[in-house]
Amino acid sequence: MFASTNSVALVGVEARAVSVEVHVGGGEKGRLNVVGLPDTAVREAKDRVMAAMAVSGYRFPARSVTVNLAPADLPKSGSAYDLPIALALLAAAGEIPIGACNVVALGELALDGSLRSARGGLGAAIVAAEMGVPCLLPAEAAAEASIVTSADVQMVGSLPAAISAALGESVFPGPAPPGYRPPDPHDLAEVRGQPLAKRALEVAAAGGHHMLLSGPPGSGKTMLARCLPGVLPDLDYETALEVAQVWSSAGKARSCLTVPPMRSPHHTATTAAVIGGGSGVPVPGEISMAHRGVLFLDELGEFRPQLLDALRQPLEEGEVTIARKGVTVTFPAAIQLVAATNPCPCGFHGHFRKGCECSERMIQRYRRRLSGPLMDRFDIRIRVERVDPDALIGPPGEPSREVASRVAGAWEVQRSRGRRNRDLGRSELDEVEFTSGAQRMIEGALRHGSMTGRGFDRVRRLARTVADLAGAEVVQESHVSQALVLRGHHEQYRG
Amino acid sequence: MSSTADDLIRLAHVGMHPDRLRGLVTKAGPPGRVLRQIERGYLKLPDEARQAARVPAGERRESLRRAGIEFLLRSDQGFPERLRNLPDSPLFLFQRGPDFTGTAVAIVGTRTCTTYGRRLAERYGAAISNAGWSVVSGLAKGIDGAAHQGSLRGPAPGIAVLGSGVDVWYPRQHCKLGESLLEAGGTVWSEAPPGARPLGWRFPPRNRIISGIAHAVIVVEAGVKGGALVTARIALEQGRDIFATPGDVGRYSSLGCNLLIRDGAFPVLDADDLLECLQLVIGTPPASSVEKSTPEPAPDTGVPVDRFLAKLDDDPVVGIAELGRLVALGEVKIDADGLVVAG
Repeated sequence: MFASTNSVALVGVEARAVSVEVHVGGGEKGRLNVVGLPDTAVREAKDRVMAAMAVSGYRFPARSVTVNLAPADLPKSGSAYDLPIALALLAAAGEIPIGACNVVALGELALDGSLRSARGGLGAAIVAAEMGVPCLLPAEAAAEASIVTSADVQMVGSLPAAISAALGESVFPGPAPPGYRPPDPHDLAEVRGQPLAKRALEVAAAGGHHMLLSGPPGSGKTMLARCLPGVLPDLDYETALEVAQVWSSAGKARSCLTVPPMRSPHHTATTAAVIGGGSGVPVPGEISMAHRGVLFLDELGEFRPQLLDALRQPLEEGEVTIARKGVTVTFPAAIQLVAATNPCPCGFHGHFRKGCECSERMIQRYRRRLSGPLMDRFDIRIRVERVDPDALIGPPGEPSREVASRVAGAWEVQRSRGRRNRDLGRSELDEVEFTSGAQRMIEGALRHGSMTGRGFDRVRRLARTVADLAGAEVVQESHVSQALVLRGHHEQYRG
Repeated sequence: MSSTADDLIRLAHVGMHPDRLRGLVTKAGPPGRVLRQIERGYLKLPDEARQAARVPAGERRESLRRAGIEFLLRSDQGFPERLRNLPDSPLFLFQRGPDFTGTAVAIVGTRTCTTYGRRLAERYGAAISNAGWSVVSGLAKGIDGAAHQGSLRGPAPGIAVLGSGVDVWYPRQHCKLGESLLEAGGTVWSEAPPGARPLGWRFPPRNRIISGIAHAVIVVEAGVKGGALVTARIALEQGRDIFATPGDVGRYSSLGCNLLIRDGAFPVLDADDLLECLQLVIGTPPASSVEKSTPEPAPDTGVPVDRFLAKLDDDPVVGIAELGRLVALGEVKIDADGLVVAG
């Protein structure tokens, strides 16, 4: 009178196998008890399961039933255990063969026996592939699971369908994996003028450098930022799976797997929404959703200061750790940060034609919010101007595709070196080879005071990327000089 | 019975608006009478001001002496002649530093200046001071501060006229600048009593002192709104010569100056040109040999990087590299607004 089947629980983004054990015991009538750290939604499974079984034509055993979700110390939440509980219960009660339990199942049962979607489909498919058993999933979960090509994913719509799929009586093939990169609505060819900004975008993409764009309203900062994913190389299978797992644990599916994700939370977003957290089991925030992609913060100065502070650690470590009572989870957060800001509250400071209406004090206060350690993360800082009408009616620029191929080349070089240029530390930068002319130029800039020690590393990092784009092994003078421009007005901007 | 001088020092510490005080003294008669009106509560004044009026003159003198602040009456010898002759002459001045005896030229402009304006003001300040004339300005942010900064490069002592008390540096960032101006033998004036905070209404009356003491007023950068144009208008009424630096038509920070030039102000080009014009107006400068100002690269107005690139090369990548080379050489730099300016 015992049966067990499999399901999954998400710890952070990681899927852990959960064994759903059901024992049908003696005497008392119709009692169902769930143990193994279930939350309310799990505990309520019994009512849904009873109704779904009745509607589907199965009898609920008139005995005492115990359901154990093992390992018992792992907290389980949500309604996704309805289906495995129902399967194991029916098998334990002898209604269906025990063999039907040799699956990984996930899904919420409706009272009419149909299946509703649940979080964690991707994780279930991964676990199922490891165990070598079929994976029964409702429609939406099956869609996100389809990326795991090694798993036998069955897309089932109801309890009876799930049973027949589990018994191998019928086959419900999962959907085809989501397609490859659709045409990007934001193409660099659409951006007219802006030679500096385009170059900056290319270098940022090539080296993974964080980038800050400042400039008056309407100068195209947001449009430029949106073009960034389009010039980044496609994600490879492992990376795409990594990203999809994060999205899956947030209950979201990716429409296209290989495009690097881009997230742009509004500046009113809470710290938990961006960093991750929430009550109970933490869910990934925007910074993790942007893992292996771009996090775009428009109006950087308007974000709450605690949030900007909280960004520093994930930027440094490429992951974010959230501790809650009982669970500490780590979400990946290897992002490229792109931020946009106005030069002052009214936006027109330094503008050629318009006067700035802000007092010096307001400007200073505005900029002070941006200064500090977070600012040091931006290797590239440029000002973006409104485009001249002449440039607007000019010919379209270079399409993203062509830029992307150069960027991919630079990535290849960095991969063979073993490290993204963004992450190069001082000791690694000391090993970068410069021509004697390039060396002299850096020393000259240091002497003229146009660069401080802090700027020194930044310029060398950027110069390395510019050289990678040019396919040069040794960093040349023209690479250093470009880096000096792209680095922008760093030192003066602080405080 | 107290002397008029005693009454005035007590009145001065009340910190009334100069126009109001002058009106009261003209209407109500001797300062002693105004003081009595204050004591009896006939005048609408904040409580602190009423309290301040009660402090005896002796005590005031003692604390001024300890703070190193002088109290100058119109009738005093140290009181500058040019200010005495103004129709709305101040009744008194608080002063730090020595009595001023030289010839002064005012440099004024907007507080929210561009890097370009700041450089010009500094250069004019240095040139005027090198010629032996004193630079007078308001120690405010922007053009004022830059003018004072520049004047420190020359031998002539400067004058700062404050809207706060003479012992209150405003803005606070200019504390060092103010102290070095005093160290260099400069003078600081204010009509506000020591400790007075920089309230907005104190600034317009202070402007009449700046233009009043000056033989000529140079407006470096001014928008259409703001104090610099007000100063220029007062200076005209006082019969001072006005100089203005022309700027791009349509550039906000130059609108005021261009308007002034249209209305008849002398356009100023560079520092040498300025000195020549000033000689015509004021006479030969006291410095025996007018040093030619040191040659500096022409200050460029901040140029958007993209515009600068277009001048360098058709290929933006080559242009960026070339701009970077100029940055490395220190010939240009990219300022806090992200614009290219002369290094």
